[in-house]
Amino acid sequence: MTSASTPASVARTGTGSDSGTARATEGGARSGTAVAYLRHAAGKLAGAAVSLLAVLVTSFFLFRIIPGDPVKTMTHGMPTTAEQLATLRRQFGLDLPLWQQFTDYCAKALTGDLGTSYQFRAPVGELIAQKLPATLLLTGTAVVLYSALGLWLGTRSAWRHGSLGDRLNTGVALTLWSVPSFWLGLLLIIVFSVGVGPVPGLFPTGGMESGTGETGLGYALDVAHHMVLPVLTLVAVGYAQTLLVMRSSLLDEMGGDYLTTARAKGLRDDAVRRRHAVPNALLPTVTMVFINLGHVAAGSILVETVFSWPGLGGLFYQALSVPDLPLVQGLFVVFAGAMIMTNLIADLLYPLLDPRVGR
Amino acid sequence: MVMVTKVPPRPAPARRALRLLLATGVTATSLLAVPATAQAEDEKSGGSTLTVAVSQSVDSLSPFLAQKLVSTSVHRLAYEYLTNYDVKDAHPIPGLATEWKASPDKLTWTYTIREDSFWSDGRQATAEDAAWTFNKMMTDPDAATANGSFTANFRKVSAPDPRTLVIELKQPQATMTALDVPIVPKHVWEKVTDFSKFNNDQRFPIVGNGPFVITDFKVDQYIKLKPNKRFWRGAPKFDELVFKYYKDGDAAVAALQKGEVSFVPNLTPAQANALKTQKNIRVNDAPGRRFYALAANPGARAKDGTAFGNGHKALLDPEVRKALFLAVDRTTLVRKVFQDHAVEGEGYIPPRFSSYFWKPAAEQKRSYDPARAERILDAAGYRKNAEGRRLGKDGKPIDLRILCHATDPNDKASAKYLQEWWGRLGIGLKVDCLDSVSDPWGKGDYDLAFDGWSVNPDPDYVLSIHTCGTLPATPKDTGATDNFICDRQFDSLYARQAVEYDAATRSDLVRQMQSRLYDTGYMNVLAYPNALEAYRTDQIASITTMPEAAGNLWGQDGYWSWWSAVPAAASSDGGSGGSSTGVIVTIGAAAVAVLGLVVFLGLRRRSTADDRE
Amino acid sequence: MTSEPYVTAAALARRRRRASLARFWHRYRAHRAGLWGLAGLTLIGLVALTAPLTVGADVQSVTNAPGTALASPSAEFPLGTDQFGRSLLGLLIWGARISLLVGLLAASLSVAIGTLVGILAGHYGGWFSTVVMRVTDWFLVMPALVLAIVLATVMSRSVWTVVLAIGVTSWPTTARLVRAQTIAVESRPYIERATALGGGDGHVMTRHVLPNVMPLVLAQTTLGISTAILTEATLAFLGLGDPTVVSWGGMLQDAREAGAVSSGHWWYLAPPGIAIALVALAFTLCGRAVESVLNPKLGVGR
Repeated sequence: MTSASTPASVARTGTGSDSGTARATEGGARSGTAVAYLRHAAGKLAGAAVSLLAVLVTSFFLFRIIPGDPVKTMTHGMPTTAEQLATLRRQFGLDLPLWQQFTDYCAKALTGDLGTSYQFRAPVGELIAQKLPATLLLTGTAVVLYSALGLWLGTRSAWRHGSLGDRLNTGVALTLWSVPSFWLGLLLIIVFSVGVGPVPGLFPTGGMESGTGETGLGYALDVAHHMVLPVLTLVAVGYAQTLLVMRSSLLDEMGGDYLTTARAKGLRDDAVRRRHAVPNALLPTVTMVFINLGHVAAGSILVETVFSWPGLGGLFYQALSVPDLPLVQGLFVVFAGAMIMTNLIADLLYPLLDPRVGR
Repeated sequence: MVMVTKVPPRPAPARRALRLLLATGVTATSLLAVPATAQAEDEKSGGSTLTVAVSQSVDSLSPFLAQKLVSTSVHRLAYEYLTNYDVKDAHPIPGLATEWKASPDKLTWTYTIREDSFWSDGRQATAEDAAWTFNKMMTDPDAATANGSFTANFRKVSAPDPRTLVIELKQPQATMTALDVPIVPKHVWEKVTDFSKFNNDQRFPIVGNGPFVITDFKVDQYIKLKPNKRFWRGAPKFDELVFKYYKDGDAAVAALQKGEVSFVPNLTPAQANALKTQKNIRVNDAPGRRFYALAANPGARAKDGTAFGNGHKALLDPEVRKALFLAVDRTTLVRKVFQDHAVEGEGYIPPRFSSYFWKPAAEQKRSYDPARAERILDAAGYRKNAEGRRLGKDGKPIDLRILCHATDPNDKASAKYLQEWWGRLGIGLKVDCLDSVSDPWGKGDYDLAFDGWSVNPDPDYVLSIHTCGTLPATPKDTGATDNFICDRQFDSLYARQAVEYDAATRSDLVRQMQSRLYDTGYMNVLAYPNALEAYRTDQIASITTMPEAAGNLWGQDGYWSWWSAVPAAASSDGGSGGSSTGVIVTIGAAAVAVLGLVVFLGLRRRSTADDRE
Repeated sequence: MTSEPYVTAAALARRRRRASLARFWHRYRAHRAGLWGLAGLTLIGLVALTAPLTVGADVQSVTNAPGTALASPSAEFPLGTDQFGRSLLGLLIWGARISLLVGLLAASLSVAIGTLVGILAGHYGGWFSTVVMRVTDWFLVMPALVLAIVLATVMSRSVWTVVLAIGVTSWPTTARLVRAQTIAVESRPYIERATALGGGDGHVMTRHVLPNVMPLVLAQTTLGISTAILTEATLAFLGLGDPTVVSWGGMLQDAREAGAVSSGHWWYLAPPGIAIALVALAFTLCGRAVESVLNPKLGVGR
């Protein structure tokens, strides 16, 4: 075996690849009896609950340190009397002492009420629910596509590691990985939406729908048409990670004695790979993809900004500039909550899927 | 680090489960999302549609809460106000009221309400509706959230008969013909219990009596309006008006180029220049209603006299401020930062409001003269040290800060120039760009700041924010004050103009106020940025700007632009754009499908045909 | 190790260090991608360091800008000009300084915090370690970009703000890795011997643990720089950088604000992005090579 790229090499901060796989290994190493698993699950659940509570609490204080008076910012440029400012402050509950704001927030949060946005004057939960589908649609599609692409290319690369194809493959992936996603998005807009030279503007520059009142299939196609460029951007920048993790886990697997045994038993290479190496190598990769899912929502802030995608990312950025405290808090809880949940799911699923456990 | 240990092959079921998880888990979430977003827009629009690109979010569709420009613009279209502004010179003209008069003691105003204005549900609009609207604002603080400033001085509002509205004032008020308050139908709104929560966006169409009726709204997606066929001035010509959201300016411009939208406001100079040469697009480059200024902290003070904030002491010296302003080359700023899409700043109120516009006399004017600035500083005792830095009275080099809006490219660009110009004077400048400047500003923690206001046809408000009365009561409170300016002479002029009902005398007083403001030397108006906007001539045949001669289309003081817009012949069938969009949609969908297929086949191939090196 | 009988301990140590450096270089040379990365970095580093001589600080000046606004590429301005008429090539070269500086500082800060936390948690263990690692885990589940945006919004726009925002949000990965390594190192017998000989906590951590985690730290830093440069560009692009300082991310934001996208001025937009990608790629390649040299377990020779 010669050089194998290590997944940690692409440990771009915040992608969680390290933590994910490290944690997964930890989980997998446990004993596989049902009781042990339940204990493990209970522990993880409790941990997630604590984390979620911590996020709820910290998100309140974290955003109180943002400078800026929401009331002043919102009324800037408008004729406003001192009485009006006071009314706004009262409506938003900003006239109460901080501890009381905090207890109110906690009491409400526990009942699932994340408060009322200052700038939209609508319940935060409702606003998030309105935008969540758009983000899920965009990031979900992108994750599916880039995971599939990464797995496929990673497998190919590992199987022929060291070949020209492999080097080209990893080279291209690493290069795209180093590209700032927002920049790639802007370039794609210039080339494929605005049109450069002979290239006509094929795709919309932004948004999620044309709003021409299409329904059914027409609407779905319209949305798909709007999705092409943002999805392409996310996939191009994202698939390298899956590729490299898959490649290196597969290389690890291929070094395994059992593969030699399997081959000695007369299995064809292809069968060895499909039945033995790939499934084992999939485990860390899938765990990583799963954990990344939580990050993707937050990470789409940039792509959503560039493509005016009506999702959570754009909402967050907009909320931050006021600052629209309840909305920022709510979104932060959602982003962090998504991370906690995907981590939890990975933790819970891993022992079930890991063959080393109890079989 | 990943530690992958060697693992014996494991049974197939687990593998299948894994693959299933991968394949379905994520896809399911994304597929589930489709129907949720695909809430059918059942109304298929026939006929002509005027699509306007907007970026600002609607804060509320309730006229009692809405403060953002996009919301108030929509309300202008959906509700009548007592008065409107003339399209030529913005003087008050009849709106819901056909005529008005003040009592000799200036404290009672009587409005006659028109007979031909009907709510979109068929009922007649009466003085009772207007009286109810104002009374609600006077009695319920929540209802005064948006427009309370107009009714703060009202003593009593009544409707002795359906055609007569009587407003009694505590003090004379010059803005009685410029009450920008949408009048709402009492029979709809009296059912509302909590005005702080009611957003008027649950039931469509929204009952109104303006030229348009709001028919649909989706946060940050669109606002849709249909013409009000019974509008007393005549129904608008377009069959539908849509405000469509583009959070990104470039996306909006590209949409205009493709004909997806008919109108785009707030262009950058580069965008305007690029659009100018294009077919079927007209760029409207008109004098704006904003001023863009440099404000120097005069030493923040509360009404109780307590000084607060950490404004630089050197700025309290009029000579220093004068020198700083003399070293600012406004012509260059207009040429470079605004790329000539602005008018050089002089007085406080933009020239577009000709009745109030004032400019400094030759001997009063601060023209660009860096050499004179140096001399003034030298004479005032601010010497340069060995490194060329100006020293303050405390012997330390003068280093100033300027507050800039992080979201405003003009602030950032202008700051670069200021840094270099003042750097040559030996004065350092630190640029503090923030998303929300209100915090340090309100606390008086700034030396200089970029300031700008949109001026209304009635200048009362933009003048009021420089009076002592708007200072915060104590350092802990907030006041409406713009820049903590408190000048007795300015205040007495303000008090006089506020109660002056004679137009000519009032505009003279307003000019004197601007002269005084200029002389106090706390504000340096740098420029009046133009309104830069563009529309498609193959969709809009004609449209009225305000002022009619050379004015803006977006953010007018009336409903003139959208009410007057005439659809171009080609756009009324909406055919050409639709079919090409269809083709493009198909191509896009095909591309996605092909991509998916390639990936799918690739995965399959991997598990079957691929052989080893 | 040594054949000469009379050498001082210090000289011995020095020689051993030199030898291991030579060994490192020998192994590093085997990684072709790593060499490419190193060559790229050297080149860009040189360009950045010599910028005061080649383009000069005056290239940032708006009042002395030589060109007209938004000119397309020409002989005088090979990459065209920005909206103030400044040469984009000059700005690109000058911007390398800030982008590299921020990348280096932010990655160092992040790795420093991570190493400190990791060693302390690994060395002391017990409830202290539990608490510290809980906090680390908490940071790990926080969306780093979101946190960085919040931090950058809170503080005023400056280069230091960006360094701090990146450094403070990206350390947990390093902390976890260093902690694991610390525990591994401290389980070796010679640490026990050192403690028995009277070495205090400080002695063990600085003399024994630190040198042993250094390779890991080095690899993390190299990889971290690549991330930090990308994050810097991201923050600047979102308008959270210092507007008076020229950086690559800032140039992209300027381009966007000037409407370069809709007017099709690709020459304004393309070069800063390519520069960011190349530097990030170079650091990644180097980091991967360093990592596989220093930590053979992970790659080579299995």
